[in-house]
Amino acid sequence: MAQRSVVDVSKLRRARAVRTQPKGRAVDPQALADVQALLGDAPRRRDLLIEFLHRIQDRHGHISAAHIVALAQEMRLAMTEVYEVATFYHHFDVVKEGETPPPAVTVRVCTTLSCQLAGADALRAAAAKACGSNVRVIGAPCIGRCEHAPAAVVGRNPIDRATPDAIAAAVASGSVEPAIPKHIDYSAYRRHDGYRVLASCHAGERDPESVIAALENSELRGLGGAGFPAGRKWRIVSTEPAPRLMAVNIDEGEPGTFKDRHYLERDPHRFLEGTLIAAWAVGIDDVYIYLRDEYAASRAILEKAIAELEADAPCALPRLHLRRGAGAYICGEESAMIESIEGKRGMPRLRPPYVAQVGLFGRPTLEHNMETLYWVRVILEKGAEAFSSHGRHGRKGLRSFSVSGRVAKPGVHLAPAGITVRELIAEHCGGMLPGHEFYAYLPGGASGGILPASLGDVPLDFDTLQPYGCFIGSAAIILLSQHDRARDAALNLMQFFADESCGQCTPCRVGTEKAVGLLSKPAWDVPLLNELSQAMTDASICGLGQAAANPVASVIKYFSDELEGKR
Amino acid sequence: MSVPLEAAQDVGTVRFTLDGREMAATPGETILEAASRHGIEIPHLCYTPGMRPDGNCRACVVEIKGERVLAPSCCRAPAAGMEVQSASARARHAQKVVVEMLVSDVPERVYRPDSELARWRRWLGIGKPRFEARAQPSADHSHPAMAVNLDACIQCTRCVRACREVQVNDVIGYAFRGAQSKIVFDLDDPMGESTCVACGECVQACPTGALAPAHDAYVVAADRMVESVCPYCGVGCQLTYHVKDNAIVRVAGRDGPANHDRLCVKGRFGFDYVAHPQRLTKPLIRKPGFPKSGDFVVDPANPLSVFREATWDEALDLAGGTLARIRDAHGSRALAGFGSAKCSNEEAYLFQKLVRTGFGSNNVDHCTRLCHASSVAALLEGIGSGAVSNPVMDVMQAEVVLLIGANPVVNHPVAATWIKNAVKRGTHLILADPRRSELARHAKHYLQFKPDTDVALLNAMMYTIIEEGLVAQSFVADRTSGFDELRKNVAGHSPEAMAPVCGIPADTIRAVARLYASSSASMILWGMGISQHSHGTDNARCLIALSMLTGQVGRPGTGLHPLRGQNNVQGASDVGLIPMMYPDYRRVDNPDAQHRFEALWGASLDAKAGLTVVEIINAASAGSIRGMYVMGENPAMSDPDVHHAREALGRLEMLVVQDIFLTETCYLADVILPATAFPEKTGTFTNTDRTVQLGRQALSPPGDARQDLAIIVAMAKRLGLDWSYAHSRDVFAEMRKAMPSIAGITWERLEREHAVTYPCEHEGDPGQHVVFTHDFPTPTGRARLVPAQVTHAAERPDAEYPYVLITGRQLEHWHTGSMTRRTEVLDAIEPGPVVSMHPGDLAALGVVAGGAVTVESRRGKIVLHARADDGTPRGAVFVPFCYHEAAANLLTNPVLDPFGKIPEFKYCAVRVGAGGEISAETGYSQGSARVPA
Repeated sequence: MAQRSVVDVSKLRRARAVRTQPKGRAVDPQALADVQALLGDAPRRRDLLIEFLHRIQDRHGHISAAHIVALAQEMRLAMTEVYEVATFYHHFDVVKEGETPPPAVTVRVCTTLSCQLAGADALRAAAAKACGSNVRVIGAPCIGRCEHAPAAVVGRNPIDRATPDAIAAAVASGSVEPAIPKHIDYSAYRRHDGYRVLASCHAGERDPESVIAALENSELRGLGGAGFPAGRKWRIVSTEPAPRLMAVNIDEGEPGTFKDRHYLERDPHRFLEGTLIAAWAVGIDDVYIYLRDEYAASRAILEKAIAELEADAPCALPRLHLRRGAGAYICGEESAMIESIEGKRGMPRLRPPYVAQVGLFGRPTLEHNMETLYWVRVILEKGAEAFSSHGRHGRKGLRSFSVSGRVAKPGVHLAPAGITVRELIAEHCGGMLPGHEFYAYLPGGASGGILPASLGDVPLDFDTLQPYGCFIGSAAIILLSQHDRARDAALNLMQFFADESCGQCTPCRVGTEKAVGLLSKPAWDVPLLNELSQAMTDASICGLGQAAANPVASVIKYFSDELEGKR
Repeated sequence: MSVPLEAAQDVGTVRFTLDGREMAATPGETILEAASRHGIEIPHLCYTPGMRPDGNCRACVVEIKGERVLAPSCCRAPAAGMEVQSASARARHAQKVVVEMLVSDVPERVYRPDSELARWRRWLGIGKPRFEARAQPSADHSHPAMAVNLDACIQCTRCVRACREVQVNDVIGYAFRGAQSKIVFDLDDPMGESTCVACGECVQACPTGALAPAHDAYVVAADRMVESVCPYCGVGCQLTYHVKDNAIVRVAGRDGPANHDRLCVKGRFGFDYVAHPQRLTKPLIRKPGFPKSGDFVVDPANPLSVFREATWDEALDLAGGTLARIRDAHGSRALAGFGSAKCSNEEAYLFQKLVRTGFGSNNVDHCTRLCHASSVAALLEGIGSGAVSNPVMDVMQAEVVLLIGANPVVNHPVAATWIKNAVKRGTHLILADPRRSELARHAKHYLQFKPDTDVALLNAMMYTIIEEGLVAQSFVADRTSGFDELRKNVAGHSPEAMAPVCGIPADTIRAVARLYASSSASMILWGMGISQHSHGTDNARCLIALSMLTGQVGRPGTGLHPLRGQNNVQGASDVGLIPMMYPDYRRVDNPDAQHRFEALWGASLDAKAGLTVVEIINAASAGSIRGMYVMGENPAMSDPDVHHAREALGRLEMLVVQDIFLTETCYLADVILPATAFPEKTGTFTNTDRTVQLGRQALSPPGDARQDLAIIVAMAKRLGLDWSYAHSRDVFAEMRKAMPSIAGITWERLEREHAVTYPCEHEGDPGQHVVFTHDFPTPTGRARLVPAQVTHAAERPDAEYPYVLITGRQLEHWHTGSMTRRTEVLDAIEPGPVVSMHPGDLAALGVVAGGAVTVESRRGKIVLHARADDGTPRGAVFVPFCYHEAAANLLTNPVLDPFGKIPEFKYCAVRVGAGGEISAETGYSQGSARVPA
């Protein structure tokens, strides 16, 4: 016999108590009633899980364990399926028994690079002091208001160029909802020939082939960052078997990027018209628009725009499903966004298969960045040249540069593709801020690497930055000055990536965390960082992990004097 | 295993280059699988064969020429001409850094010696990791069966897939994000407080031991592995016993046809009963001065208070000699025998042969009478065979599964996993049961019909099928008889008329009927919710008719499957352990059959059918049965109105009980023969799918305990039979002669293949998984449609006894609990008796969950703790029958179904009151437990 000791079994049984209910948590009747009331007659579809979690969070200010269990029962999901989704997204506050729910008002102070350069850390500390203990002041990843850095959000109300006093005042006055920016509304858009192109498509005045050809000729490329030719994408998806779906990515989260919000808050119907033309050209009946939760004003605008459009449609419309993100940068990755639209954790899928073939709900899916669709109308109205005739230094097209950091006039600057950063600063940004000299720049948000001022004359466009280990991505340009260090920027960005890693694959989940540790040390272990960077770049599932080490590689490559302590 | 290149020229193979070697991948094969087949190792952690590859760990990344980044070889299929490098500097670098990162975050402590992470670390030559370790979570030892040590977790999510995609218990989640990502149970609850059902699939899947059996059982190195079968339910999962020093240290699932490596909590963790100190190890003889009565109790830890030890010869002489004397003095029919569906085919066969040739009557039966006798009666009457038409696994090929009166999540857990898998693949599940089980969540339609109204519901479905023209006309014309009578009978049972009777809206009944009838392949599975009624045969008749009306039988994914309860209830019935049939269901009143077996056995046989279980008990009570031989049964717990049964057993002049523990039946024994537990013997067992499987001996029996087969032979000798069976295989050889259905199965094939499905009439036959493809084994070859009227349970609620009592099982406990209540894990999870009631009913009674409740019928009274369970319908209470301290069968009604002679365990009237004195005695607390030495 194996070595055994004999003890009374009763000692091993927890007090010999029989369970008073079936295994695990029981449904609380009151919580179930709450959930049923909040869900109303909405279909209990899995893909609506995140929408339902929002309803609970909005109503109760948090999501209690009891509500999760009740929601699971109501949706016929396992409770852990609800829990793992709820805990994935920053904007859901899951509160278990014995935990204190968050205060009624949460202030999110953006701590990502552009805002950090503008003093976000001090702002956050001072705001916490100014607001007192009944308010939760937390750091937040880029909220897409980099041109107004430092930015904060009180509830859903964005505070630009925020000060502790401004934040405290908003809290005190209960100003927790955003002001809606003035924008071109439905009637104004229609008055200026809006939806004419779309109507002409539906009226048979255009055919899908000619529209797709026009897109191809325009050389419009995906403006979310990957730069895939838009016309070619339409053609590929249009040849896939029906039903085909469309998913529009407005989860604009790349640090430094705010162009989608910029356009959405000014001319939402131009985007919608482009979307509807795409759906028509590709043969799509259901369009899912995924908007990041941080853009509350944009959501209000879009909800109203869609309602007005549907109430007075210029032609037959596909079904438009506006979906709300919940605070997760990774959901800007196309397949993660699809997972999120399906009501799941935003974990990127492995490719192949590509979303054009197997995308949303397993169907062929046309996925586009918002801005890409924004340009469709003008291309069809004015011809492909409307877009392709622009360009500089041998490049073609227009780019909406989101410029932030140490420049005099940050903001979205529409400029020819191929413009250099020096030209951009001089021609569009009113130069550097007083007292700041151009030191370095990030050409493509957090992921695109960091270049020194000495490389300020490289044309900015897709494909031009590869030789330097960088890319333009969503054209988010962040300027650093002599007061900044590239290594600090790299650490800030790595912290961002570590916070935003979905946690699926080892190189990204563990790699970003280990990298933060290594980058925080006064002296960098460059060989180890190089090894780690290489593995993250080569072996991560998606662009987040593959690009997360770009800033580190840039620092090692271009800013060795910083590492040698010379700056 | 490597396939030569020349052989891989089939259509669909893909030729590609790996590490400079040209090779072929079969269709659907990944790079990793092709590499493995060709003997090239690539590190991998989140991938394990048999599970959906997830590609998250990135240890298996390879370099593909022309691609920007590396690709996970576990997920990527090679394309023609693809050039892949698994060992290039770039690929190897990534593999190493990935594994180094994971190694840096796990402790040095070994949770399983065969950790896959440690293995690949060595393989890749990774030394001390250069990264700082993460902050480690604390251990969770809240579950009696499993330890959760997330410090060793590498987030590979194999456990998540095991829990969610394999077993579909949906307990484990992957919560939070980034470096905070965490394996959680439910809402990040302690495992022991979660909805975990302890199937252990996650433990089996975990590559590092972050999830491991409790008490470091992984760390004990086994010295032997024995391939065997699970001793509990009829699913028949194959398993491997890991044995050290004649003790089982752990159990692992094996790739059997019914389970494909899966197990449930009983199979995986319920093995230590064999080493319980209360095992009987010496023959015992009742001491004088202990008169037997229905209330007589013996402390199972102290049998010598009532019995004295004896030698085998003395005990056998007394037992066999007395039975022989009774036979000679009072005739053959004064004796009876109960075999057991827990014993092997060989033991069951020999036992019935002993009764028929040694006692000289057909008074032999077993617990099949208590589970599916009515189903078998209806099946034999309707389609000429009492076994299933298709294996459980056929649900994977079904478009619709109708599951009625069964709770497989509890009673056939691994079968339930296949049903859940099928649902995930798109099969529509229709679940009909008064008690809502976990499967309801997966059902397209869940019908919580009123208890006792099966016939109303099913007739209304048939009404719809006939009225709406959904009858399979040619099938009914060509392969059935009795359609006109059936049509006339159901004419009065429209869904609208039956809706108030069964409590299901007419529209739902119609929708479900259409769904079932019009699908390309519909399976019906049922359990004792159908059979254990006084109209159980009528219930089953309706299911058979439903299947025949729609032609939903005789094809893969289409048929009838009564889920058999015990591990060998199918086999025990097949080999004739029932009073009206010889082996292979030859009727004892059929002269041809009688002559055939008289010739085979060399004895004259009684042409009169014997008595069934409850009839034997009644005969004992009346004094016409005077002696009994009980092998492995516990009628003193399992029979209805069990006080009456105990009184009856107490009246016997000689009760011989052969068992491994001092069961409640042993309390009333005159002689007790210490027998062997399942892992201590070798024999064949036939599962619910008609698959004969080999259980192999893993341990030697304790003390003087003897193998059951040897005891039967020794008893036979005392009854004048000169038998010489040395081994199970000798008995099996005789069974093949007696039973054409298994004549083609050889012992050698069982040893080689572990499992063969019958009918297998000739050696080399593959065995038939789906039967009735062309005709039915009836005299006409046609199925008979038998109409059923709506009748009611014998005892319905009234003002005095207003509640319905439903009895059944719990996941953790088997039958009367004699084994499972003596295993540490199962006992710890369900330590004592409970009555499940709807929270609303509890509130109405003023009882809080956990409070004491008295449940009383016209026959008896028990007191137990209340469990609030909103799956129990209002007005009903559910009590598991495994607890001797509050034996549910003290309350049940011994009324029998007239055809199957099955008692009405699923329905009797009780009254329920708050309070009462709960027995202080509970379980077998004198027991031992495996604890770290």
